[in-house]
Amino acid sequence: MASHGLDYDGCNFFRQRLVLSTLSGKRVKIKNIRSRDDNPGLRDFEASFIRLLDKVTNGSRIEINQTGTVLFYQPGLLNGGSVEHDCNPQRSIGYYLEALLMLAPFMKNSLKATLKGVTNDPVDPTVDLLKSTALPLMKKFGIDGEGFDLKVVKRGMAPGGGGEVLFTCPVRRTIRPVQLTDPGKIKRIRGVAISVYICMCMSFNRIHRKILSFGLTLVAETLSGSFFSAEMSSTPQGQGDPILPEDLGRNCAKLLLEEIHRGGCVDSPNQSLALLLMTLGQQDVSKVLLGPLSPYTIEFLRHIRDFFQIMFKIEVQKPLEDERKGGDKVLMTCVGVGYSNINKTLK
Amino acid sequence: MDGKERKQRKHQQKHSGPKADKKKLRKQGGSTEEDGRKRNPKAFAVQSAVRMAKTFHRAQDIKAKKHHIPLVDRTPLEPPPVVVVVVGPPKVGKSTLIRCLIKNFTRQKLGDICGPVTIVSGKKRRLTFMECNNDINTMIDLAKVADLVLMLIDASFGFEMETFEFLNICQVHGFPRIMGVLTHLDSFKNNKTLRKTKKNLKHRFWTEVYQGAKLFYLSGMVYGEYQIQEVKNLGRFISVMKFRPLVWQTSHPYVLVDRMEDLTDPERVRTEPKCDRTVSLYGYLRGTNLKNKGQVHVPGVGDFQVADVNFLPDPCPLPDAQKKRALNEKERLLYAPMAGVGGVVYDKDAVYIDLPANHVNQQQEEVRPTTELVQSLIDTHATLDVKMAASKVTLFSGSATLDPADIDQQTGEKEGPREKLVWDPNTQRERRVVVFSEEGREEEEEEEEEDDDDDDDDDVDDVSGSSDGEDSDQEEEEKDEDEDEDEDNLSTFLKEARAKSERTEKNGKGSPPPVKKQKLEEKGEVPVFADSDDDLERSQEESEEKGDAGRAGDSGHCSEEDEEASDDDDEDDNDEESDDESVEEEDGAAEAAAEEQMRSESEGEEEQGALRWKDCLQQKASEAFLRQQAAAPNLRKLVYGSVAEAGDSGEDEEEELGGLFRVSRPQKSKKFTANSLDCSRFDPETSHNWDGEEMLNSIRDCFVTGKWEEGQDAATLLKEDEELYGDFEDLETGEVHKGQKEQQDDAENSEEEEEDNDEAEESLVKVDDDELQKNKRMEKKRRLKERFDAEYDDGDATYFDDLKEEMQKQAELNRAEFEDVDDEIRVQYEGFRPGMYVRLEISSLPCEFVNNFDPHYPIILGGLGSSEGNIGYLQVRLKKHRWYERILKTRDPLIMSLGWRRFQTIPLYHIEDHNGRHRLLKYTPEHMHCGASIWGPITPQGTGFLALQSVAGTKANFRIAATGVILDLDKSVTVVKKLKLIGHPYKIFKNTCFIKGMFNTVLEVAKFEGASVRTVSGVRGQIKKALSTPLGAYRATFEDRLLMSDIVFLRSWFPVTVPQLYNPVTSLLLPVGAKDGWAGMRTLGQLKYDLGIRNKPNTDSLYKPVVRGQRHFNRLHIPKELQKALPFKSKPKQQQPKGKTPRDMQRPSVIREPSERKVAALLQALTTVHNHKKKKAHTMQHTKHKEFLQQKEKQEVAKLKRQKEARKKLYRVMGQKDQKKQRSSLKGAPQDD
Repeated sequence: MASHGLDYDGCNFFRQRLVLSTLSGKRVKIKNIRSRDDNPGLRDFEASFIRLLDKVTNGSRIEINQTGTVLFYQPGLLNGGSVEHDCNPQRSIGYYLEALLMLAPFMKNSLKATLKGVTNDPVDPTVDLLKSTALPLMKKFGIDGEGFDLKVVKRGMAPGGGGEVLFTCPVRRTIRPVQLTDPGKIKRIRGVAISVYICMCMSFNRIHRKILSFGLTLVAETLSGSFFSAEMSSTPQGQGDPILPEDLGRNCAKLLLEEIHRGGCVDSPNQSLALLLMTLGQQDVSKVLLGPLSPYTIEFLRHIRDFFQIMFKIEVQKPLEDERKGGDKVLMTCVGVGYSNINKTLK
Repeated sequence: MDGKERKQRKHQQKHSGPKADKKKLRKQGGSTEEDGRKRNPKAFAVQSAVRMAKTFHRAQDIKAKKHHIPLVDRTPLEPPPVVVVVVGPPKVGKSTLIRCLIKNFTRQKLGDICGPVTIVSGKKRRLTFMECNNDINTMIDLAKVADLVLMLIDASFGFEMETFEFLNICQVHGFPRIMGVLTHLDSFKNNKTLRKTKKNLKHRFWTEVYQGAKLFYLSGMVYGEYQIQEVKNLGRFISVMKFRPLVWQTSHPYVLVDRMEDLTDPERVRTEPKCDRTVSLYGYLRGTNLKNKGQVHVPGVGDFQVADVNFLPDPCPLPDAQKKRALNEKERLLYAPMAGVGGVVYDKDAVYIDLPANHVNQQQEEVRPTTELVQSLIDTHATLDVKMAASKVTLFSGSATLDPADIDQQTGEKEGPREKLVWDPNTQRERRVVVFSEEGREEEEEEEEEDDDDDDDDDVDDVSGSSDGEDSDQEEEEKDEDEDEDEDNLSTFLKEARAKSERTEKNGKGSPPPVKKQKLEEKGEVPVFADSDDDLERSQEESEEKGDAGRAGDSGHCSEEDEEASDDDDEDDNDEESDDESVEEEDGAAEAAAEEQMRSESEGEEEQGALRWKDCLQQKASEAFLRQQAAAPNLRKLVYGSVAEAGDSGEDEEEELGGLFRVSRPQKSKKFTANSLDCSRFDPETSHNWDGEEMLNSIRDCFVTGKWEEGQDAATLLKEDEELYGDFEDLETGEVHKGQKEQQDDAENSEEEEEDNDEAEESLVKVDDDELQKNKRMEKKRRLKERFDAEYDDGDATYFDDLKEEMQKQAELNRAEFEDVDDEIRVQYEGFRPGMYVRLEISSLPCEFVNNFDPHYPIILGGLGSSEGNIGYLQVRLKKHRWYERILKTRDPLIMSLGWRRFQTIPLYHIEDHNGRHRLLKYTPEHMHCGASIWGPITPQGTGFLALQSVAGTKANFRIAATGVILDLDKSVTVVKKLKLIGHPYKIFKNTCFIKGMFNTVLEVAKFEGASVRTVSGVRGQIKKALSTPLGAYRATFEDRLLMSDIVFLRSWFPVTVPQLYNPVTSLLLPVGAKDGWAGMRTLGQLKYDLGIRNKPNTDSLYKPVVRGQRHFNRLHIPKELQKALPFKSKPKQQQPKGKTPRDMQRPSVIREPSERKVAALLQALTTVHNHKKKKAHTMQHTKHKEFLQQKEKQEVAKLKRQKEARKKLYRVMGQKDQKKQRSSLKGAPQDD
């Protein structure tokens, strides 16, 4: 009598599928994971992600075939509590944290996750970025309170890892519907610059061979509490061309401008998080103004339809003639599924 | 007497004078409370602050008590019919009551009440009546869907168990409105007993429901019906009743099925009678929004995946909004397909049953169309070749437009208006509604009617009633008809069906029967024009690899029509935008081809219709195109439309186009995306040049430094302020600030001023200007005040008010957001709204469901939430019902009703210890809650449930064994039971012992190292280490030395597993007449009883006489040293107690001489005399002394008295002296000092 499952192909959008499967209780089967690849099957970081998922849930069933090209996942119930996980350093903690942000409010016990691994890398959203954009976004959905925090305990850079992040999140029974249609005007821009193994008193140019890693995260805050972010990290040693810190800073600033040009109330890495929380809201209309939808978000929307049968009303809002507010915006409207946290214990 | 005749004098009102003045003043409202306050302020002053605080406190308490947590109002605009369930023991008059109520509301008589009967009871309300029989399964199911329960009670008998059982079921599953109805009141001959019974029953009913619950009395029967006036009153009550939202009902969609059709291929059923059936179920959607492709539970059958959902036009619609008080005769609709009334079947497997519109006036026929009849009709109508034709049509979706017309020609029957209602999922009929607006649709129908036979008289009226202004001549005709037959105003369905039947009559037979029952064959397909757009749609979709017939009707996947219609136009635009859609171009081509092909076909078929459709399409398309232009990338299509298949790739492989060709597509793009990097980052592919000024300018307004919107701009706000507080003088600095309004206003009005720049008119303008400015200022002041009010003057808005307002806003937003969206698209966003009449197709129902179908049993489709389809462990709080006479045993199977489901499971009862441990119980406590763990369907916490031991048959006693609530869901259980491990010492050193027999291996001991053990006598100890031999032995230390006879035990907790039994009660699958005979797993006791097995008692547990041997105690030995130290008292005594005096020591007795004896006697006598004297003297002495003492006492008293008086005198003198002294000292300084 267990509900029917869903079948997918390929390893892309791996996290989305597993997260949505866990939240909806629908089992999922992913086939042909890198089946044509020289190195077929699941990568270490994906296995690590599955392990993390297993840690926060109770009663999940995970089956992987010999070559690792087929994954079957029957979700259990989200348990939460204290979790410690060594994230595989192939991907940064952001990769794992993004999924955890989606799951955390729907656990049985409030989550207290210690994630160890790479805090900053150029591929995934860094911990700083998530801290400064995703958390305020979640607060708008009614997920806040004492224990809602993301703390960077230690930094760790790409090949080695060694960073540590403490993420705590309270449990919610229901999620509030939101109307985020006015992004507001940007009032301040802040940022975090990090460097590892650099003596800051020296000139960058002189010693840049010895520099191991550095990165920059910029966050623009608007009057209505929306956040736009951009970040850049230096590529790990030995991979790609080394970049000068000055160039990195300039490029990062340009990225921020790009992000502002895209606009909306939610910046591009957090689009899917916002859409998920809208979907899992009460049976009320939620609205969010977004910038152009990223391919990741588009796929996420399709997955939401598969798992929750929710379709979003997507309206493109063209800027007015005399407005100088960047590009087209997209107004996403949906009616929540009326999701209530079935994991939370009734006392 | 004449006094009687004299009338009493009338009171004469004063019209003048002081009294009249006073009265006048009062009438004018001269002296109010305010006045009083002014006149007598003291009377209104605060008397007691404490009292005032108390009254205030109390008022606030009362106010706060009224508050409920505000909820967002999600009731739909047009609510579904209210479910009125009529319950009661057998022979109490349920059917009669329903019949009377239906007659009261609709003036129609109904024979057998089969299944739900829906009627229109008023302008805003519809009712669905459902009779509840006495099967407890039915009672449970109906309690979950009821809005109102009419609880019939036989007053001549009193309450019966069914009533209380039903009330208890209601309490568990959310309490719907309950109204009691007392029947059989005419059986009371004595009026007093009647009154008494009424009162008793009423009070008992009140304690069960709530104080003051409505209880109706139906006093007696007249010609087998209840009295008209009483039924009318009851009906009135029902139609004004307000309902409370129940938690479960408002959070789950559900359908009370009022029609069922078996869609299975008859050929397949013939060859394989036991095959799973495809069934379509119809009913009003209630509760909340239903998503397509969801999971539903059918109580009594099981869980099923819904293959398809679509909504149909309402078969029993509310009357159009008109300003009139009562319902028109024609608006009093009745819809009960299972009872054979209003069963206008407009499906592909259709039977048309009709009641004539004016059949109320006609003689009622005894023979009513019953389900048997319907069934027989169904059976006869579907000939194999027709079915074959139909099936062929559905397969060849590409040529779908052709076939129905062919069939039309073959059969020679024209079924114009019916086609409109045909709802064929395989051809995605529902889409038609979107492209053609309602007028369009109806227009088509009218046209077809024109084509077919214009002499139809009454089939046009109501159909085209709403489509005014479409066809002028048609309308005229229609008007005429309206005038002619004013009463012919029934619903479209009835109407059309009637029309059809009449038409066929005209074609075929001559004389129509009084009650028309017409069986018509239903086409697998529908006319072209009605369908053509859908085909366009479908062809497009096919090209997009999702047009397989099975899924075609899925409204969750259908994309919007008008946009797609114009897709060809902006395809190239799209391609640029879409990043991973290389398929698009092919789509475009395919679409175009398909469209063209389809067009040619349709034109060949029916030119008129096609032309109309084209007109409409063109217009729509142009509109859509413009809209598209406005919003360049068609994001909806990008997201949901064409790329949908990338997700469900499993279907790709089997996909067939037109039933013949397999789609093979280059899958490069898909593979490319399928295995690429999973990253949420959105890096710009075409980065803008942010070094350029123009690019930077494009986002200038995103910052606070940029330009603001009208009304928000800081500059304008500042200006406003300046204008308001124009000129002022800074007193400190002495500066004078002049308002700049003149200049500004000049600037504002510059255009006007420039036009008339003449000097002569200057002054006039000036005056105008002043006026204008004044107005402006006033306006601004007002606005400012408003803003201020909004900010500060919030009244006494509390948190509660704010919350309520927020909810209100959300409710408005919910209503407004999709209000103007067409239903077709709206259902995709919102799901199907409650109140819609929906058709759900379920593909794999067991054949027993169809074969053993009994319309008297309700079929409910209960929607399940996202993870409610899964099974897990549930932890519940449970209490044995007070009225159930037995306690429940752990591991005895129990039937539970939880959520929508009824299932059998095996519970483990437990109780929570103070340290949070769940300890297993063997039996439920008698009058206490306990916990229970079961293996069952995941259901949200807080859901109530009830438990039964069996649902089969009826029993005399109360059947509900327990009730409770879900607390927690998990995938593991935490219940433990106590386990005592027992061992014996085999070697005892002082406090250390070697103990064996508790464990079997060293490993086991290792696990328990450090655990505390105890002896039966209470000596505590600890396990230290395992010993190598014997196996399982260990060393333990104790707080005292053990005896070899001691028993050592270890108290431990052993986790128990909950048996994974989930056995749904499939009562609906049982044969007709035996549906209440479901028997599941038997309890152990039942099993033993049935098999005649008796327990063999454990011999150790039997009682035996206790035999105790004599115990001997050794002497107490005290060491000599100790003895020495002891005090004498505690020292053991050495000397022996005195024995008997030996004979030699005994003295001899003396024998006296006679003389001696005499002397002795004399002495004796003398002594006696002397003693007597002495005694006498002593008494004398005693009395004398007593007297003396008395005297002495008297004297003493007298003496004291004397002394007292003397003292008194003395004190008085002394006091006087003292007073004197004081007085003199007060007067002045004493002389002598």
